[in-house]
Amino acid sequence: MALELSVKGIEAGYAAVRALHGVSLDIGQGETVALLGTNGNGKSTLMKCVMGMVRPTKGSVTLAIDGKTHDLTRLSTEEIVNLGVAMVPEGRRLFPKLTVEENLLLGAFRPLARTEISRNLAFCFEAFPVLAERRRQLAGSMSGGQQQMLAIARALMSAPKLLLVDEPSVGLAPILVSHTITKIKELKDQYGLTVLMAEQNFHQAIRIADRGYIIVHGEIVFEGDVKALEQNELVRSYYLGTG
Amino acid sequence: MIFSLDLLTEALLFGVLLGCFYAAVSIGLSVSFGLLDVPHVAHPAVMVLGSYCTYLLASQGLDPIVAGVVLMPAFFVLGILIYRFYYESFEKRGTDAGVRGLAFFFGVAFIIEIGLILAFGVDQRSVSAAYIGSSWALGEYRIPYRMLVAFGVALVLTFGLTVYLSKTFTGRAIKAVAQDEPALRLMGANPVRIKQWAFGIATGVSALAGAMLIIVNPVEPALDRLYIGRTFCVVVLAGLGSMTGTLAAGLILGIAESIVLMFLGASWAPAVAFGLLLIALGVRPQGLFGR
Repeated sequence: MALELSVKGIEAGYAAVRALHGVSLDIGQGETVALLGTNGNGKSTLMKCVMGMVRPTKGSVTLAIDGKTHDLTRLSTEEIVNLGVAMVPEGRRLFPKLTVEENLLLGAFRPLARTEISRNLAFCFEAFPVLAERRRQLAGSMSGGQQQMLAIARALMSAPKLLLVDEPSVGLAPILVSHTITKIKELKDQYGLTVLMAEQNFHQAIRIADRGYIIVHGEIVFEGDVKALEQNELVRSYYLGTG
Repeated sequence: MIFSLDLLTEALLFGVLLGCFYAAVSIGLSVSFGLLDVPHVAHPAVMVLGSYCTYLLASQGLDPIVAGVVLMPAFFVLGILIYRFYYESFEKRGTDAGVRGLAFFFGVAFIIEIGLILAFGVDQRSVSAAYIGSSWALGEYRIPYRMLVAFGVALVLTFGLTVYLSKTFTGRAIKAVAQDEPALRLMGANPVRIKQWAFGIATGVSALAGAMLIIVNPVEPALDRLYIGRTFCVVVLAGLGSMTGTLAAGLILGIAESIVLMFLGASWAPAVAFGLLLIALGVRPQGLFGR
């Protein structure tokens, strides 16, 4: 069950704007990797390149899984999801007019996830009891924190091997940010997931990360394990403003 | 105007049957317009096409209801082809797909109408079966069996679609697709294929509704025009995309038309649909069962 995501020298953008300039990144089986940086530096674009939602103009994105290597730049988003990659998108992107339960069941759309649906649903309700209480409620009528829980649970319903989480802290109160990040860690451990998390909240992100990359203006300016990141005062004060 | 309890009861009774009929002719549109946001004004025309196809099969000796069911797969494929064409030439190109799509579907409606005139002429066509023309005496009221066919078709379609949309993976994806296409991709579903499939279902359902149409009344090629207002009224009043709402809204329109017909006269009846549509848009734009 070896898994490795490898991004090599990708360039990507939207129309005339280039968002990524030669970005490389690696994630191994079972790792939690944080992609750090403030708004507009290319975190989301990088994630979208992995999911096949943005096509890089240069470079490669490959996913090695169970001894097979897949070129993600040639696959559609649906095919990438079918390989076992799930993303919690920025802004959550729930189906607001469907119920909590319908949102979760849609998460299990990929054929492989359908067979384990009742087990995964029970697991999600156990991990997020609030979702069980509100299973008949419309997703759009829940609070921001609850919606974030639902977005994460929905991604887990696809029984992913690699989970991408784009800015889980956006729009949440500080206590909920901490709760959400802790939850991601718990789920990762229980599920044996590999996690790539884009986040601008440095302190929260490195609580659960093994390694981190700092991305600025579409370039990786620093990479290292959590210790190296924490000790790199320059990086922290200059790029993250937390010094 | 003569008012009596007997007349009111009769109007209500007939209204319920008429309402089921309206629900059955609208339910395909409830999928294509209500759930998929496709401005499918050719929906009634496709249904009238279904009526004529039923007429052809019935003239070969097939029972009209059976003919409607037999036609469903062919109409399913027709729906997929229409959607594919609409998608490639309009929806894919983005922004003003709605307005141009409206023009496209008006075009489709005219092509069907003119095609039918060329093939069958402008005369009315009807089918015959044991249950057409006879009625069931219920106390002092007479209920035409053909209206019971409408009643049955409406219930079967409403129930069938409700179950399909809530219990199957594809059904749930159909409910989600208009809300957020990129998010649906992240679930591993291809939005275009989902819409294509759903449009196929909506069109397949129209074949059965078309058979019911010609069972209830004789049809002529331009009949679809009468139903554009009514079907859109029912779908909007229902709350876009709600199948049980479609049945309820159909009943409201049927009963309202029937009462107006009975007490104010036939000339007012066509105004009822648009009146209800305006009231719905003004008072409760999300519809009765809208989310």
